[in-house]
Amino acid sequence: MCSWRRVRERLFKITVFGVAILALTPLFHLIMVVFINGLPTILEAGLEFFVDLPPTPLSRELGGIAPSLVGTFLMTMISLPITIVLGLFTAILVTEFPKSRLSILVDTVAKSLSSVPTIAVSMAMFSLVVVLVNTIPKLRAFLNPAGSALTGSLALVIIALPISYTYFSTFLRSVPATYKEAAYSIGMSRWAVIIRVVIPVVKKSILVAVLMTMARIMGETAALLFTAGRYRNGLPASIISPVDAIPLLIFDYILSPFEVWRRVAWGATLILLLFYMLIFFVVKVVVKEVKLL
Amino acid sequence: MIWGLPESKRDRLFFTSLIPFSISLLSMLLLLVSILFFNSIESLSAYGSSLFAKTVWDPENSVYGVLGPILGTIITSLISVSVSLILSLSLAITIAEYLKGYLKKIVSSIVEFMGGLPTIIYAVWASEYLVPFLKNNVMKPLHTSLPFIPLFSCRPITGFSTFAAGVALGISTVPYVASIILEAYENIPLIYREACYGIGATKYEAIKTLLSLTKPAIIAALILGFARSLGETTIVALTIGNSMTLTPCLFAPGYTVSALVASQFANAFLYQHAESVLYASMLVTTLISIILSLYASKLIIDWRSRVVV
Repeated sequence: MCSWRRVRERLFKITVFGVAILALTPLFHLIMVVFINGLPTILEAGLEFFVDLPPTPLSRELGGIAPSLVGTFLMTMISLPITIVLGLFTAILVTEFPKSRLSILVDTVAKSLSSVPTIAVSMAMFSLVVVLVNTIPKLRAFLNPAGSALTGSLALVIIALPISYTYFSTFLRSVPATYKEAAYSIGMSRWAVIIRVVIPVVKKSILVAVLMTMARIMGETAALLFTAGRYRNGLPASIISPVDAIPLLIFDYILSPFEVWRRVAWGATLILLLFYMLIFFVVKVVVKEVKLL
Repeated sequence: MIWGLPESKRDRLFFTSLIPFSISLLSMLLLLVSILFFNSIESLSAYGSSLFAKTVWDPENSVYGVLGPILGTIITSLISVSVSLILSLSLAITIAEYLKGYLKKIVSSIVEFMGGLPTIIYAVWASEYLVPFLKNNVMKPLHTSLPFIPLFSCRPITGFSTFAAGVALGISTVPYVASIILEAYENIPLIYREACYGIGATKYEAIKTLLSLTKPAIIAALILGFARSLGETTIVALTIGNSMTLTPCLFAPGYTVSALVASQFANAFLYQHAESVLYASMLVTTLISIILSLYASKLIIDWRSRVVV
């Protein structure tokens, strides 16, 4: 009896360990193959990879991914501030008044919004732009039915808002009530407490939330499929002209029959992975004590 | 005080000043669902329920049926959930019970890293490496040894299939499901654990008992993983093989709703009703996904108030 229990103990431990290692293997293999396939592309293309246009299917030159880099940068710059402001203030409302019906509703809506398929956001955004432009022709100055950095960014805001809201509300909730009570007891107003006490306490967590939201925005593919325009034959002239993004380029090129496009896709994947690793590294090293979700 | 407005005048001002921000969230959801709905009316009134009863994509004659993609969506998500259940349960137990100190921190960081990794990177890896691997090491052996089971009845040709898409999705949802299970597991009050060891339970027996306590949270995590797999586009579109056929075999190429949209939406405006059909099928997927995830988060909240506090 006693020995069977010991054997079972061993067997269980070995199985659990084995499967856990199996669960992590894909990540290591993935990082390895992205470097193996992506590095030669970037080394061969050199610095041109960052400033050139993508190659034509039969070209011998590798070209570059400049339009995608610019597009991703542009859309991140537009959507990130909007997302952060909306997410932070909504989170403040919900954590300050947790019992109010509006807060409960907002919380539920954030959960629903985060479960909406990202491609549905893309479709809806596309349709909204077409309808708006057709009913109010003047809006053509801002919205381009063929896709634009602005439309893409708005779609990204919808995707990233529930995520940043969840981060912010978790972090704000983690501030001990005693801190706030102490501040109230010396007669500080609610706003003053938030600005002088709550925000300073969670300062680093806010940085983490911003960075993780940024990582999400940079890597999003499906939301941009019908909103950004997938234009990669040149750099965008303004924020209302069609743009490309790194994930879109990878999505279109990786299964293409042309060898040169697939190589560019691998190079772009490596760039995206490096960006993400950098963000994650900053999150982990600069802000050690913050626990992610 | 319908909206639970605060009592003091200053607080009320503070509250109202924040309302516009939260309205933004509410209006986004309303806008999204209503746009999907208004765009689907056309096809729903033209085809009615027959739209969801057959599998056809014939824009030239405007005949449509999206049963195949909808079943494909459900099947890939089911495969995904089963794969991620096995992997993430072991991962969560390992992190919670067997690892300590630095090792624990490193492994949890790796899981966080996987969780935030852009799905397109998973998609690239899956389409180039996982699909051929599964084809040679899982699909072919299963087909040759058990061809009489309908699920394995067809010969895997390219490897791009419902099965491959499901497994790829499963791997990508592991960190998400594992983090929910881990959080629930570590939230179990210490007294339960002490009680287990107090009556002389081994580690395995204690884990078994504690897991049975976490069961509702694990089920909720699986539902959330399922809902997330339903709408995932990038990974599926690059691994499922995109084919409008309805077969019981898992090794044949198929479609999910989001993969269908990803490949057909750009040209859909050329044909009558095509765009609206895509909106209708996406509306169904979106609603299922929202309902499931709300139900799952309610399960977790109920469980927490029963067990943890």
